[in-house]
Amino acid sequence: MQTIISTRSIGDQDLHTTTMRSSFGLVKRSLINTRRLPSAFLPSLAMPMFNMIAFSGTFFAITKMPGFPTDRSVNWFMPLGLAMGSAFSGVALGFSLIRDLENGFYDRLRMSPTSRLSLVVGPVIATWIRVTLVAAIVFVAAFLLGARPTSGVLSYICSLIAALGIATIGAGWGLGLAYRFQDMRGAAIMQLSIFVTMFLSTAQVPLDVMTGWLHTVARVSPVTNIFRLARAGWVNESSPDYMSWSNVYGGLLAIVILSALSLTFAMRSLQQIDN
Amino acid sequence: MSESPIIAIDLVRHFGDVQAVKGINLEIKEGEIFGFLGPNGAGKSTAVRMLTTLLRPTSGTARVAGYDVVNQADMVRRNIGVALQDAAIDPLMTGAELLALQAVLYGIPATSLKKRSDELLERVGLTAAARRRVSTYSGGMRRRLDLALSLIHQPKVLFLDEPTTGLDPMSRLTLWEEVRRLNKDGTTVMLTTQYLEEADQLADRIAIIDHGRIVREGKPADLKASIGAPTLIIKIHADQNERAKSVLSTFGELRPGVEGEIGVGLQGGATQVADVVRKLDEAGVHLQHLEINEPSLDDVFAEATGYRLEGSDNAPPAGDNGLRDNGTVEPLTKKSRWGRKQRR
Amino acid sequence: MIDVALAQKSGGDLAEHSLSLSMRQTFALAKRSTLELFRQPALVVPSMLFPLFFAMLGNSSFGRTTSLPGFPKVDSYLQFQLAGTITQGVLFGSVTGAAALATDIQNGFFDRLLAAPTSRTGILLGRLAGSTLFGALQTAVFVFVLMPFGASVSAGIPGVLAMIVSGALISLAVGALMSSVALKTGSAEAVQGTFPLLFILLFFSSAFFPRETMSGAYQTIAGLNPISYLVEGLRALSLEGFTASATARAILVPLAIAIVALGIANSQLRSRLRKH
Repeated sequence: MQTIISTRSIGDQDLHTTTMRSSFGLVKRSLINTRRLPSAFLPSLAMPMFNMIAFSGTFFAITKMPGFPTDRSVNWFMPLGLAMGSAFSGVALGFSLIRDLENGFYDRLRMSPTSRLSLVVGPVIATWIRVTLVAAIVFVAAFLLGARPTSGVLSYICSLIAALGIATIGAGWGLGLAYRFQDMRGAAIMQLSIFVTMFLSTAQVPLDVMTGWLHTVARVSPVTNIFRLARAGWVNESSPDYMSWSNVYGGLLAIVILSALSLTFAMRSLQQIDN
Repeated sequence: MSESPIIAIDLVRHFGDVQAVKGINLEIKEGEIFGFLGPNGAGKSTAVRMLTTLLRPTSGTARVAGYDVVNQADMVRRNIGVALQDAAIDPLMTGAELLALQAVLYGIPATSLKKRSDELLERVGLTAAARRRVSTYSGGMRRRLDLALSLIHQPKVLFLDEPTTGLDPMSRLTLWEEVRRLNKDGTTVMLTTQYLEEADQLADRIAIIDHGRIVREGKPADLKASIGAPTLIIKIHADQNERAKSVLSTFGELRPGVEGEIGVGLQGGATQVADVVRKLDEAGVHLQHLEINEPSLDDVFAEATGYRLEGSDNAPPAGDNGLRDNGTVEPLTKKSRWGRKQRR
Repeated sequence: MIDVALAQKSGGDLAEHSLSLSMRQTFALAKRSTLELFRQPALVVPSMLFPLFFAMLGNSSFGRTTSLPGFPKVDSYLQFQLAGTITQGVLFGSVTGAAALATDIQNGFFDRLLAAPTSRTGILLGRLAGSTLFGALQTAVFVFVLMPFGASVSAGIPGVLAMIVSGALISLAVGALMSSVALKTGSAEAVQGTFPLLFILLFFSSAFFPRETMSGAYQTIAGLNPISYLVEGLRALSLEGFTASATARAILVPLAIAIVALGIANSQLRSRLRKH
């Protein structure tokens, strides 16, 4: 990763800009901002908590449906809450980018000779750090509310990977739209599209419970695979979705492919920003 | 550098149907301070955005620091420093943090980062404020930090986009001093401004841009001279008015002056003053006062564009943005965001 | 005050006949706020489409859950869900209206109104008339769009009309509460900021699932939550038919809340006026 993009000398010094170093400079900035403006970060934390608590409570009775994969509603809805929070953290990157674009700070970044890749990678890494923090808090809260993993540490790891994956996909999508719209119109589209996409899957109920058009859509949605990964360690051993390579594999693949697509979209959009 | 540091050839930029820049040709020589003068919406910011790689030209080419702004954007970026109009700075960061980030983005080695950053803070007088958040800075401090940021990599070419808009007179003088100092050290400076006085004070050469075209270009003195006749103003006793006027009208067109004064545009230039005095004396006119006013950049601007810049005596009210309301509106395209936001 | 609001809602005739200057001003402001709302499709469309999307999503997701113990007897989940959808949509819409009021305060339009000899209460009611009308419209749209998918209204046409009145009153009540926030803070962001709070209230109510199926603490919270009662009044009309009890619950509960909310909004308006 230590590719030197280009070099120039001033005085007796050589100036090397590397994607890695610039990315970490931007990670640092993003984390400093999070620390100094926690109110911008709170929704990313409040959303998964609220989602988990509200859904587990409101839809408590669905675990009584015949064949439901778990009898604990928190087990079922915690991964949904975490996924929602991660998606939000991802697109929130788009919001802060829009702020930078609107107040002109982003011009400064764009005028620097650093690699364009670092302008995308840096903020995404910062998002991973924030999502990991949120996940840790959500895991503790879920445990207190009665969630119990069925595959030990692996349960948590799978949920975290799913969360990071969703955050990456959301981030690429959010950044790309922000580059294209450069104002808050982009923010509305980011939020709408990502949440609709999330819900058109097994987000709320398992495939066996749903009926009609949603079943048709959710069955083929890659997001369903990601939810299967996120919940593999939270459903009963007797469930066909219980932790196994075949239940995890599809989610991992979906994350890799969708992340690649959305980050490519972000890079492409950044390259067209000067048009 | 063999090639001039800034060259633009037929540079054009459209935003949809709006032609913001309609074909600009420029050559700025090494070591010059070049003033780019025009009201808001004239296209100067668009032009500068193209020269600084932020915006792709619709057609035409530009080379900055010896590199093409489109195909060699990365090398251009490496060699230019840009101070933005609104000093757009992340308000949550401290001055020192921003300098550190800037240093990383420009590849300043970690070993010399601190030293370089301290030097610059010292230079712009922000050492004491370095650990404070930018949101606590005054307008002048933001501009100075902005300048420091743009200098982190010792750029050969410096773009200053309206560096003093909204600053108080003291802060403006400080900034002008710093620009002169940088220029003396060999930095080529392209300065965008809507203040005639700023251009007059700082620039070796200026270009006036209006409606996307350069309408005048040259040294301030030459441009002023091109307006032609300087204005001779005399003060005399009121009962000699008619006699004086008939004498003066033989030298050129009479120009309105304030009460008790008569002005004339000297067709033959300032060298005619001796003749004027002699003829007045012969006619028995007793001069109480005489002055000769060279044409100002304001006159040049008015002659070139057909209108005068509001507040062209260059005393923008403190905290005001001077020209924002003079009726020339920047085309409101989503891309023309440079300077769209005004800080209060 | 409520009469005035209803009068505006029932169209121009009444206001035209009224000779009171204050009524005419109120009407003019009502017209402005209504037009303003409809001229911003970006604000209006989501508050129409989102609840519909969630209704359809819910119907597919929870269609089979209606057989669970504790679930009332329904033709479909959608029939149960209709009341929740209306409430959800109206909550969305009312925030938009109140945010517009806060924007008026921020950009000085409100001061201009106050400087004019406009009736003070008229300013408030005029502003709320827009959201009230919009609430009625939303209710009608939700009922007619979801009906073919199984959201039948047992109370028939009179029931649908009662639902529309109920929806308008809920919108007035929530709009007045949100306007209090707007008047208190003068910030559109603060108004938008209360939105998550409303959303949380909505989720901790019986808007999406019957209270009877909930467990322990959730059941208690939903039982204390006023939104549960707003939803259940409406729901009674779709499930029980056009009974006196159902109609009374659908109309009186939001009416009572609207009166209290208008009182709060009015006192916030007075206290803002005192600052001038």
